[in-house]
Order: sequence, then C-alpha cells, then structure tokens
Amino acid sequence: MLEVKNLNAGYGHLQIIRDVNFSVNDGEVIAILGSNGAGKTTTVRAITGMLKPMSGSVNFNGQELCGKSSRAILDAGIIQVPEGRQLFTEMTVYENLELGAFSDAAREKLDESLKFCYKYFPKLEERTSQSAGTLSGGEQQMVAVARALIGLPKLLILDEPSLGLAPNIVDEILTVAHDMAKNNGISVILVEQDVNKALKTADMGYVIENGHVVLSGTSAELQNNEHVKRAYLGI
Amino acid sequence: MDTFLQACINGLMIGGFYSLMGMGQNVIFGVMKIINFCHGEMLMVGMYLAYVFYTYLGIDPYVALPLVALVMFIAGAIFQHTLITPSLGTKSFTNLLFLTVGMGILLTNGAQVLFSSDYRTITTSYSSIILSLGPITVALPRVVSFCVLIAVSIALAFFLKYTRTGKKIRAVSQNPIGAQVVGIDTKKIYMITYGLGAALAGVSGALLTLFYVINPTAGSNFGFRALIVVVVGGLGSISGAFFAGIFLGLLETLVSLFIGPSLRTLVVFATFIVILVIRQNIILRRA
Repeated sequence: MLEVKNLNAGYGHLQIIRDVNFSVNDGEVIAILGSNGAGKTTTVRAITGMLKPMSGSVNFNGQELCGKSSRAILDAGIIQVPEGRQLFTEMTVYENLELGAFSDAAREKLDESLKFCYKYFPKLEERTSQSAGTLSGGEQQMVAVARALIGLPKLLILDEPSLGLAPNIVDEILTVAHDMAKNNGISVILVEQDVNKALKTADMGYVIENGHVVLSGTSAELQNNEHVKRAYLGI
Repeated sequence: MDTFLQACINGLMIGGFYSLMGMGQNVIFGVMKIINFCHGEMLMVGMYLAYVFYTYLGIDPYVALPLVALVMFIAGAIFQHTLITPSLGTKSFTNLLFLTVGMGILLTNGAQVLFSSDYRTITTSYSSIILSLGPITVALPRVVSFCVLIAVSIALAFFLKYTRTGKKIRAVSQNPIGAQVVGIDTKKIYMITYGLGAALAGVSGALLTLFYVINPTAGSNFGFRALIVVVVGGLGSISGAFFAGIFLGLLETLVSLFIGPSLRTLVVFATFIVILVIRQNIILRRA
C-alpha cells in the first residue's frame, strides 16, 4: 500500500536521509529502527509532508504523495502520532480527540470512532473532561493514538511511542498497534529506538543508520542478525 | 462615598474598553506569538468608520457595529495574509515590530490626510440622555456601550470555547505542530485570528465615538493600555485580559479621584512597571 523509493530529505542544505527505500503492505506492521539522530523522525516528517522532501517517491495506493501538503497526505489516509505526542495540553481530552476528526467523513463517524477508541483505552473515557496536560505520560500517549485513530487512518505512523513511558504502557500501546493492523485494516509504521519491543510487534523491520537503510528483513531475521544483536539488542 | 461610587462606575465603563482591546491583542499573541503594535490605531480606524457611516450614510453607530466589525475583519485578514504571515516565516522579531509599528504610523497619517487632525464628535438624539441611580449619574451611551462590550466579550469567550473555528484557534496557539498533525490550516487560522483582533478593536472604536473625541491619534492611549492589560492579565489569557482591563479602568479613575487626574497616567504606567518586575521575578524563580 505504501512504497517509499529513494527518499532524500533534510533541513536547508543539510541532508539527513539518503535514498531511503521501504514498503508497507496491507495489514502489516513495519518497524523503522535506529538510534537517536539516525534519521527516523526526518523520514516520518518527509512522508507526512511536515518537511518537504528533496527528492524521491512516496506512492500510497497508487497516489504520488511526495512533496504534497501535510493536509493532502492526511486526506489520503496517512496519519501520524508524532514524537512527543504534541497534544493540546490546555484543552480537554474530548476536545483533543474531536480535533482529530479533520475530514467530513471523520466528523460524521466521530461518536462511533470514540467508542472504538474507548474500547481500546477505557481510561480515556473516564478522563474526557479533564485537560490533556494533567494526564500521566502514558495516558497522554493514549490520547495521541486515539486522536490519530479518530481521523480514520489507512496507515498509522507511530513515532517513538515508547519515549519516556513505563514498559507495561508501551506494551499496551504496541498491542493496540498490532491489533489495528491485524483486525482493523489499518497498517502501521512503528518508529522505534526500542528495537527489542518493536521487533516483537512488527512483521518487517528496516534499520536506519546515518540516514541510510542498512538492513531490512522480517522481524525474525533481524532478531537473529549479528549486527542487530550487537548494536541494538546488547546480546 | 457618592464620588467614590461614581468613580467606580466610570472606571468600570472605561475598563470595558481596555478589556476588549486586551482580549483582541491576546488572541493575536496567543496564536502568532507576536505583539500587535497597531492595535490602538485599529481602534482609531473603527472610530472613523463609525463616523463615516453616521455622518455620510446616516447609520447609527450601534447599528453600524456589525458593518465596522466586518470591514475591520476583512482588512485585518488581508493585512495578515499579505504582510504578517510571510514575515512570520523569517523568525525575525524586528521585521514584525517594524511591520506593525509601521502600519500604525500609516493608519494615523492616513487618517490625518483623509480627515485632517480636527477633533470630531458624533452627536445622536440620545447622546445627552443621562441615567441617574440615586446620586450616581451615567450617560446613556456609556451604559449601552458597556453592555455591548460585555456581550461581545462573552460572545468571544463562547466562540473560542465552543465553535470549531474557536477550537482550532486554541489548538494552534497551544501547539502549532499538533495543529499541523491534525490538518489544521494554520495560515487560515492566522487570517481569522488577526481579522478577529482587528474587528474587536474596530468595535471598541465605534462604541467610543458616542462619548469620546475622534482624531487620528485617539487610538494610541488605548493601544498602550491594551499592552498593559495583556501583561497584567497574562499573555494569551482571555479571561485574564478581561479582568485586567476592568482593573485598569478602576485604577485610573480612582487615582484621578484620590491623587489627581494629572498623575493618572503616571500611576498607571508605574503600576505596570511594578507588575512587570514582580512577574519577571516570579517567572525567574520558577525556572
């Protein structure tokens, strides 16, 4: 469904990612792995139109999205849960979720989508009228994921969902991500530093180092790869 | 006691204007993180618009309010989109400073060219009606204007709290990146926000014409006070601006009463400096 080819992007004259290639199939979770500063978030920003790519191709269900506005890419169905969550902290949880419904279609299905989200994150239902900034980090991450789901994504991008969260909450979020891909027809790109957890959830993985994809393969292959073991799993 | 009550009422009436000016300034600051240095001049333009509507077209200033708001909204939105938005990208504060200060000078001098610097007034059939409640007397237009100001303030608060556009405005002011993530068109929100600020200033100006002289520099007093209101009430806080405006109005009239009118402005700005110093220290200690 998503085919990224020779994607180049950066800031000003500083190129961060070079010729990045990967693809996502329907119902698949793929992991983009790498350490801090490898170019993972730049890749996300280039795909979602938050950053104008220098060159390359982002083909989504036959539609070329490279260089399109972030709004056009949202409309196409690629929605991200950004790094650091980027919630509206002084607004209520409900208002945050409501703002996730950016299209007419999403607004029509808002009530249905809210029920869907509360099923996965029951805690949020208790907190609807609380301002988002007063929630715990884990709950805020849940709001961020729910806000993205309310926009009715076809492809969900989770950027560093584990950042600063307790391991059990990370597991909860990753379980939801896995369930989205397997049972709800929403493919997932998981961008992670926590390689161990990411490979347990994902079908395929791509390892980025210094802006290049240096390794790719199924999760099982990567888990057994000597380089991955040494550099990321500490085995 | 009577003079004290009278001063309080007068303070309240003028404070309503400071509130609305401060709220407009604060909405703009909240969203774009810029200080609009031509806010007072936009009030002055609102005054002349009301004057033109009344003198040449015979439209009562109260009836003309929606028209003034509309004209100001459109002009503000155009100014934002053509000049301010492109400057925001440069991240240079001085550009925006020169831009809004320059626009203020342009508006003042434009008014001078069009209307000369003569003082003008609007006198309606009801201008001289005085309401009295015991020993306290207030001119009818002041009371009506105050009620309109309060109604507009409440309407603004409701607009920001409950409408979809209002929520988007708050979203952009709280987290511009988050706003982009959920597909909010920030440039459009900038236009609406600045237009709204201009409309609020214009409405304040139109309401003032019934008991205040109209001249090209009439706005600067209000512009400066709007800045004080914003600082005292808290940058970006709408309710803070509302109460700070009322407070400032009361402070002014009570100072004139007890200390003397000549010291009024001095005390107001001295208070401003004191609050600025205290706030700065609190912020520094927190950090």
